[in-house]
Amino acid sequence: MLAAILAAGLAVGATYALIGVTYNIMFSASRVMSFTAGQLGMLGGVLGAMFISRLHLPILPGMVLALGGCALVGLVTEIIAVRPVLKALDQHLYVLSTLGFALMIQTFTAIEWSTEPQPFPRLIGIGEGGPWDEKFWLPVLACVATIVGLELLYRRTLVGRAFLAIAEDNFAARALGLPERNLRMASYALAGAVGGLAGFAGGELLLAFFANGSMLNFYGFIPVALGGLGNNKGAVIGGLALGVFQQAANFLMGGVVAGVAVFAVFIIVLLVAPQGLFGAPAARRV
Amino acid sequence: MPISAPESPRTTEALLSVADLTAGYGTIIVLHGVNLIVHPGEIVALLGPNGAGKTTLLRAVSGLLPWSGTARFAGKSLAGSSPRDTARNGLVHVVEGHRVFTQLSVTDNLLLAGYDVPRGERHARVDEALAHFPEIAAKRADRAGALSGGPQQMLAVAQGLVRRPRLLMLDEPSAGLSPVLVDRVLSVAASLREQGTAVLLVEQLVEKALRLADRVYAMAQGKIVMEAATSEPDLPHRLERAYFGHDVATPLHP
Amino acid sequence: MKALLPYAALLAAALVLPFFANDYWAVIGARAAVYWILVAGLNLVVGYGGQLAIGWVALLTLGAYTASILVARFDLNPFIAYAAGGVVGALSGVIVGLPALRLRTFYFAMTTLGFATILTQVALSWQSVTGGGIGLPGPTLSPPFDSAWGLYFLALGLAAIVTWMTANIAASRFGRSLIAIRDAEVAAEASGISKARLLTIVFLFSGFTAGVAGGLFATLQSYITPDAFTFDLSVTFFIAILVGGRGSILGPLLGNILLTLLPEFAAPLVAWSTFLYAALLLAIVLLMPGGIAALLDFRNRKPLESHRSIVPQPDRLRALLDHGPVREDIVLRNVVLAFGGVRAIDGLDITIRAGQVHGLIGPNGSGKTTTLNVISGYYAPQEGEAFLGSRVLPHGAPQTRAALGIARTFQTPRVIGEASVLQNVMVGATVDGTASFMEAALTLPRYRSEERTLTDRAMQALSVVGLASLAAVRADRLQHSELRFVEIARALAGRPAFLLLDEPAAGLSTDEINRLGSLIKAIAAAGTGVLLVEHHADLIFDICDHVTVLNLGRELAAGTPADIRAHKEVVSAYLGA
Repeated sequence: MLAAILAAGLAVGATYALIGVTYNIMFSASRVMSFTAGQLGMLGGVLGAMFISRLHLPILPGMVLALGGCALVGLVTEIIAVRPVLKALDQHLYVLSTLGFALMIQTFTAIEWSTEPQPFPRLIGIGEGGPWDEKFWLPVLACVATIVGLELLYRRTLVGRAFLAIAEDNFAARALGLPERNLRMASYALAGAVGGLAGFAGGELLLAFFANGSMLNFYGFIPVALGGLGNNKGAVIGGLALGVFQQAANFLMGGVVAGVAVFAVFIIVLLVAPQGLFGAPAARRV
Repeated sequence: MPISAPESPRTTEALLSVADLTAGYGTIIVLHGVNLIVHPGEIVALLGPNGAGKTTLLRAVSGLLPWSGTARFAGKSLAGSSPRDTARNGLVHVVEGHRVFTQLSVTDNLLLAGYDVPRGERHARVDEALAHFPEIAAKRADRAGALSGGPQQMLAVAQGLVRRPRLLMLDEPSAGLSPVLVDRVLSVAASLREQGTAVLLVEQLVEKALRLADRVYAMAQGKIVMEAATSEPDLPHRLERAYFGHDVATPLHP
Repeated sequence: MKALLPYAALLAAALVLPFFANDYWAVIGARAAVYWILVAGLNLVVGYGGQLAIGWVALLTLGAYTASILVARFDLNPFIAYAAGGVVGALSGVIVGLPALRLRTFYFAMTTLGFATILTQVALSWQSVTGGGIGLPGPTLSPPFDSAWGLYFLALGLAAIVTWMTANIAASRFGRSLIAIRDAEVAAEASGISKARLLTIVFLFSGFTAGVAGGLFATLQSYITPDAFTFDLSVTFFIAILVGGRGSILGPLLGNILLTLLPEFAAPLVAWSTFLYAALLLAIVLLMPGGIAALLDFRNRKPLESHRSIVPQPDRLRALLDHGPVREDIVLRNVVLAFGGVRAIDGLDITIRAGQVHGLIGPNGSGKTTTLNVISGYYAPQEGEAFLGSRVLPHGAPQTRAALGIARTFQTPRVIGEASVLQNVMVGATVDGTASFMEAALTLPRYRSEERTLTDRAMQALSVVGLASLAAVRADRLQHSELRFVEIARALAGRPAFLLLDEPAAGLSTDEINRLGSLIKAIAAAGTGVLLVEHHADLIFDICDHVTVLNLGRELAAGTPADIRAHKEVVSAYLGA
């Protein structure tokens, strides 16, 4: 029982965490929270199932295409839903533009893919049924790989440092002559790939289902809210904690209580610590 | 008001020439037709009270703000140039408030300034810039956030030097620094002049700026209200008048 | 009267519909009316208040389940059940809505989305009460409402009432305050608008209409399952408002009708309807932020006179500022305020006398605006106090200042661009409004006479600053210098005892500065004390009775303009030597 709770909790938690990281990457590049984060996760699962199950591609090319497709959607998000509203003083516009685009992705998928959950292909075939089933550890593995990869990117490459620079002080980065727009587009593509990986690695657990988008939007946002905007470490801890808490409540007390408990904790934490439990990075100097 | 020709005549053509430049933030117009010239290898101080539009002028010239009018740098029009374009051409703007990237090391801050420099040359450029500031060269592995205000300002200036500027625009490099550090930062401007780099300096510390600069412009209410060589007599008095407006009936110091 | 025409036309069309259409259209019409009952209330939250409540379907769900459960399990009268659904909706509206007081745009949108998500899960899991996925029957009505047209007229009647009430609220000081919170929150606080109280009332009202709509929705559906309350539906409500245009009643009404009827006229589009709505939302945001309402706003397309000048009429001040003589001074005693390690104000004592012009000057970062922000309650000093007479001014509570007679303007004018100049100025008189929300919603006599008084006073304030001819113009069409005077008019409309001006001359021409100077002198002469933060030294020296010079958060010098001009240190502080 405990093993089952932990396995399922860490698996969904890792998926939530990756969506949280997706939010963070987009936020760091543009100070925009985008509703497309969860849809990218949904697309990772749907595109994976489409390339591998429907089109019978081998797993690796199928994965590359699925993540590439998500990266493209990320890029398009930047171009049509973020860039046009960045200059506007009105903060609410990006909420509406990304919401509009996210809904377009979701309904398009529902119509062109399916309104019913579709199976996601078995990727490796390890640990049938038990707590060591690949569907439980693949998301965790993807989460670890993403975090390590991002850390290497940020610490070891100049482009990565440029991402950090833009996140910390966009104005100073522009003044320094950094190609801010290209870096922002690259960030959105990267976020797309990370979101897609969340859905792809969690595909066997969550299936290829269009409605996963808004579900992941909410559950992926909770770790960001808990961990603080732009804080990837906080998102991972928050995501895993949320996953385990949710699964434990589900197993022990049923769906009603679990749902209400998650929402109540979310609201209370937000009201008590609007900056998140782990604190946001240094606020931008005006 | 008409701008007189510079006092010390130079045969060289202007490096930066700005004519009738208008700029602002949104619907608020801050600069109303500014004219200004910087020649190669000279230090020009840009003075004026709070809110006169000095920072706005630098931001417009470096492409951080939209503007209208004419502005040319090294013979080419600056119209439509992004900050990246101007920096590539050797017009480098060090913004106010030593805004370095606190999460990154000193070296990384400088490497970022050389983002457009060919990869093989970057480290040499960083060393070259740090040669001006032995104080921070010793701390190149430290996080920039761990530096105090003075070294952060030096780092910000060094970031500008990585680009090998032909004109370096410094916006209040002395703000928040102790007098010793101010002299230290400003002394770099003097040594840059010896290498042939022009400097456009926005400063609150008028006396220090006047001592350093070759020429001075005073701004008030979005216009250039005075232009003079620093060798001219009676500058502080004339500046006072420029600052407090011409409408004050009685001179401050009769 | 002309403004009522479109509503009358819509109502007439709705009333004659039964003569032309079959029962199918009765159901469609009833659905449009039921949706509008919710959307009309939500419009106050989203369109007026600017709170991005994207999950409002949750309240429809709650209202529907409450009414259905009460009727199916407790055999209650359906109308009482509807009302109960409304009450549950109202209470839940406050619970879902109030995080908006602390949370910014995206966070709030997410909490409402989260609430809707969780509620659907609960409805599915709590089978013993909700019937789970199988659902339960909605309330059935007795004659004459049991037919399709009967229900249609019931819904239509309620929709008409809700339209009337929300239109009244929108036109009242509550509507103005909501737009002020949306577009100029800081100025709203300075005008004495309490965001918490206002939003609580509006969430109650909006939740109530959503809950009632839920009960009617259940009757209309005749059987409800959690599937009926999709996120798509929620977004449709939301999009109807934005397509219609923020800050309008007619626009969202048309948007709601359009979005409900569109799939009926274009059957092949049914599957794609949500996709199209989403695309419409994106297009509206990017291309036409004003929505349908902006298209219909013919009045504000007329070009304004291009060479207009502001000619204040200070002689009208006496009639406006008819408060008795002000005897209390504003006094700051040993105020210290540090940001991080920087002491923005470092032990400041200052007295601003009633009925005088007090200038506050000093170089960059000397603490001028910070001082003003302490007096107006935006910053809480760490040491020392600010007093009005003998009363301590409460810390960090800017919404208390208007009632104490302290008004202010801002360095960057904070006006509501989408509201008329007159409405902007009336926001400044909010503090004198006493009629309750329900009095406004029902336009009871006390509210009407009060509204007339506030309008008159705002017009007086506009003539004082010389902008009366622009009263009906949308504020975002004005020039920057005119906005500065609009802010002064707004401050004067509250008939303040003290007026704090933060760089009012910035961006003004020399002529305008001179007029501003005479206006300020006249304001002080009429008994209102003025604190003037300015960079234009000549203006300060020209009109001030008393000048304080700040440097590094401390008083460097104080005295008459003549004293200050002769002060050696002041000159050097300005020159930075």
